[in-house]
Amino acid sequence: MTTSDTSNPIPSQDPPQVDNYLTHSTGIMSWLGTLDHKRIGVMYLCSILTAFFFGGLFAMLVRAELMFPGKLFENPDTYNVMFTMHGVIMVFLVIIPSVPAALGNFVLPIMLGAKDVAFPRLNLFSYYLWVTGAVLAVSSVFFGGVDTGWTIYVPYSSSGSNMDGILPVTFAIFVLGFSSIFTGINFIVTIHRLRPPGMTWFRMPLFLWAIYATGILQVMATPVIGITVLLLAMERMFHIGIFDPAYGGDPVLFQHFFWFYSHPAVYIMILPAMGIISELISVHSHKHIFGYKFIAFSSVAIAIFSFIVWGHHMFVSSQSPLMNVIFSAITFSVAIPSAIKVFNWIATLYKGSISLNTPMLYALAFIVLFTISGLTGLHLGALATDIHLHDTYFVVAHFHYTMMGGSIIAMIGGLHHWWPKMTGKMYSEFWGRIAFTMVFIGFNLTFFTQFMLGSKGMPRRYQDYSGENWSLAQTELFAQYHWWSSIGAFLTGFGFILVAIYLLHSLFKGKRAPANPWGGRSLEWQCASPPPHDNFSKPPTVGDCYDYSVLEWDESEQGYRWRADVKHPGEE
Amino acid sequence: MSLLLLASSLIAQTGRTGGGFWFPEPGSSVATEVDFVFNVITQICIFFFVLIVALMVIFCFKYRRKEHVADTGGATHNTILELTWTGIPIILVILIFFLGLQGYVRIITPPENSYEIEAMARQWSWTFTYPNGAQDFDSVLHVPVGVPVKINLRSDDVLHALFIPAFRVKMDAVPGKNTFIWFQAIQEGEYPLYCAEYCGTEHSQMVGKVIAYNAVEFEEVIEELNTWIDKVPDEKLHMAGRLLYNLCSACHTTDGKALIGPSFLETHNKFKDGGTRKLADGSSVKVDEQYLLKSILSPGDQIAASDSDKAYPRSMPPGLGRQLGDRKVLALIEFIKRLPELKDSDGKLISVKRSEIVEEAAEPQ
Repeated sequence: MTTSDTSNPIPSQDPPQVDNYLTHSTGIMSWLGTLDHKRIGVMYLCSILTAFFFGGLFAMLVRAELMFPGKLFENPDTYNVMFTMHGVIMVFLVIIPSVPAALGNFVLPIMLGAKDVAFPRLNLFSYYLWVTGAVLAVSSVFFGGVDTGWTIYVPYSSSGSNMDGILPVTFAIFVLGFSSIFTGINFIVTIHRLRPPGMTWFRMPLFLWAIYATGILQVMATPVIGITVLLLAMERMFHIGIFDPAYGGDPVLFQHFFWFYSHPAVYIMILPAMGIISELISVHSHKHIFGYKFIAFSSVAIAIFSFIVWGHHMFVSSQSPLMNVIFSAITFSVAIPSAIKVFNWIATLYKGSISLNTPMLYALAFIVLFTISGLTGLHLGALATDIHLHDTYFVVAHFHYTMMGGSIIAMIGGLHHWWPKMTGKMYSEFWGRIAFTMVFIGFNLTFFTQFMLGSKGMPRRYQDYSGENWSLAQTELFAQYHWWSSIGAFLTGFGFILVAIYLLHSLFKGKRAPANPWGGRSLEWQCASPPPHDNFSKPPTVGDCYDYSVLEWDESEQGYRWRADVKHPGEE
Repeated sequence: MSLLLLASSLIAQTGRTGGGFWFPEPGSSVATEVDFVFNVITQICIFFFVLIVALMVIFCFKYRRKEHVADTGGATHNTILELTWTGIPIILVILIFFLGLQGYVRIITPPENSYEIEAMARQWSWTFTYPNGAQDFDSVLHVPVGVPVKINLRSDDVLHALFIPAFRVKMDAVPGKNTFIWFQAIQEGEYPLYCAEYCGTEHSQMVGKVIAYNAVEFEEVIEELNTWIDKVPDEKLHMAGRLLYNLCSACHTTDGKALIGPSFLETHNKFKDGGTRKLADGSSVKVDEQYLLKSILSPGDQIAASDSDKAYPRSMPPGLGRQLGDRKVLALIEFIKRLPELKDSDGKLISVKRSEIVEEAAEPQ
């Protein structure tokens, strides 16, 4: 076979009049009822970025409150609702679905050379479950708010809190859990069944390995949080006596259930991010990924280990010391596959040809930030030090380095990487780098200070660090760190606003994107930007997706194209 | 092997001093050990962080893109190398695990002869009870220096956690369970004490201090804590009530605003006028001394309702009043009865010092 219209695109100089997924059909219903994975991915992306905006707004309010000692919000409950909403929105509505459901939905079937995911209707259903969950979570504000923190620990959540927003939030988590499970099932089946000719397991792009490992976690861990929040709702409404000691229950049991899901959930959030980084580092270094199998297996190893380390969240919960010792020991096992990935990414850079454009900057930032988050995890995994650091700002800093420095940074990097593919437009590289610098500096300013704040003893979830019970010396000490942290947060916030501005601007004024602006080899770069409705007219045959020697630069297109003297895999 | 040498030299460099850049000054016998473990881990972290970031920056500079090459060739893997950077972290994390374990065993193993203090956590204060029956409700913990002290933790409502940063100890107080921390203070002084497990509205004010004394002074303080109320003459009992009011202030205001419970000003006015209070069950009760006594000792029996007939939540723990002892309950009742006398011209509560109302010469009661 020679090139079909999609597998070797040399688009004409004119603006593309050819049919693509955006122009394939029109009208609002063609979006709301679509079964096209690309459109569903775009809808997810818009919804999740909206949620990210609100979650970020709550973060800014939290940092505004903490910037100076004293109370900005008269009523402490206002602050407690804000940090709870920040956590709930960011974890359940943004980070968990961001990479798999938004970017994954768009990219995964194209990477497989498939027309769509295995179950397109289930895919759309997942999206509407997400919307339902989002509406429920936001509605909690109208039911009187929720002030339990995103961890919804009993007995505060079952009988301590007078706020009635807790029930809508538990139902939101329940529904969002199903959205996540269905996405996981869909992607697992798609990867098993719809791989194109030539794509063996070890020829899959590493992003797909990461999504696959994530899918396993979503399917196996998420039901537990569903059960847990239902039991919590019943405890709150009917006092069934499972978690609340006042009715004969055990509050520590709740923590076991909660972390049995929420620890794997950390990897639901970070594994796809690692997958993105493997793609970005290789493509923008124009060099074959180093140690493909080690990276692929480390994703699977992380997925497996993540199920047996939940107890490290509970070292001071009154869990038995023996359990603490066992969980501490197993926890360190997660450090190994994470370290392997970092070293392999660094080795990929070696003797590459590294373009420091915006997606790559985010990928490099990920390596720096994830390294810090992983290394500070050692302080928290070791028992003696965790006793002191638990529930302080050290933990807050650690998980923000993982969740935001890791997942969100990778997600934004992936967004910049696939933006030309999704929209057919190039954004301003100049503003991309400016915004990146703001986000990177702001982020570190915000959260590195929090490591010191935590080891000096500042507990989490405090509205204020002054008052009649506070010593002046403590207030003054914490005030310095908090001030810098807030400055950093505002800088990060402005950075993200800038990102939104230039990305939106590119939609209208951006240069037309070539099919392959970065020199990627995986299949999504072999179909047009934006892709046609059916992605590929015929499943392409694939070779080594990290072998870039088959590509060459095309000056007229400002992109890469398949070398004329090299045959496509499967061609005779 | 060379790596173990590196690790041990790092350990030697770190030394066994605490505090400094990361920590508050060490105040307990385990603090320096915790700081030592932390510093060893931090040294390892710095080594790897510098290694990774330096390589990354050098590569990005040295191999930065100069022309549009599509592919640069180069190695796709190197099993020996990859096994090496799998193996080295394994050795290091095993080392770190054992370091952390060693310190932990000390943190959780109180010596046999520890001095025991009972701690009760409730929204949003700590009550500490000493072996002689003395109590401090103001989240102030008195301890002797040089003696191992074991704090038995309980909670009356939701999860709390006792956290003393200078001592590097922390433990959850779980309702329905008994937990503990122990420490040995090494220096006289005051150290902050926090609730570290989120517990609701005033979580960030569930803060107090630990005061460490020498043994003689400690005995005096505990004795004083036990007997001061007996040394308050009857005519100053309402001022003692002002001190004890800190126990109530999270839920009961003195300015008429209803919080979690009815305002003491409203109660005072009803008492003064011989008025009645509506109850949640629809009945009403005359506000007299009998009512006040009953409300302090068994708050659940007569749940009050506001004038708009909305019942107040049943959130006052029964143990709160009962732990006080008769004379302190009396002091609180006097406080409510004579509330206006305790306010300054701006309507704010005056502050009272214990030393102002205790009469050393008073006859033993």
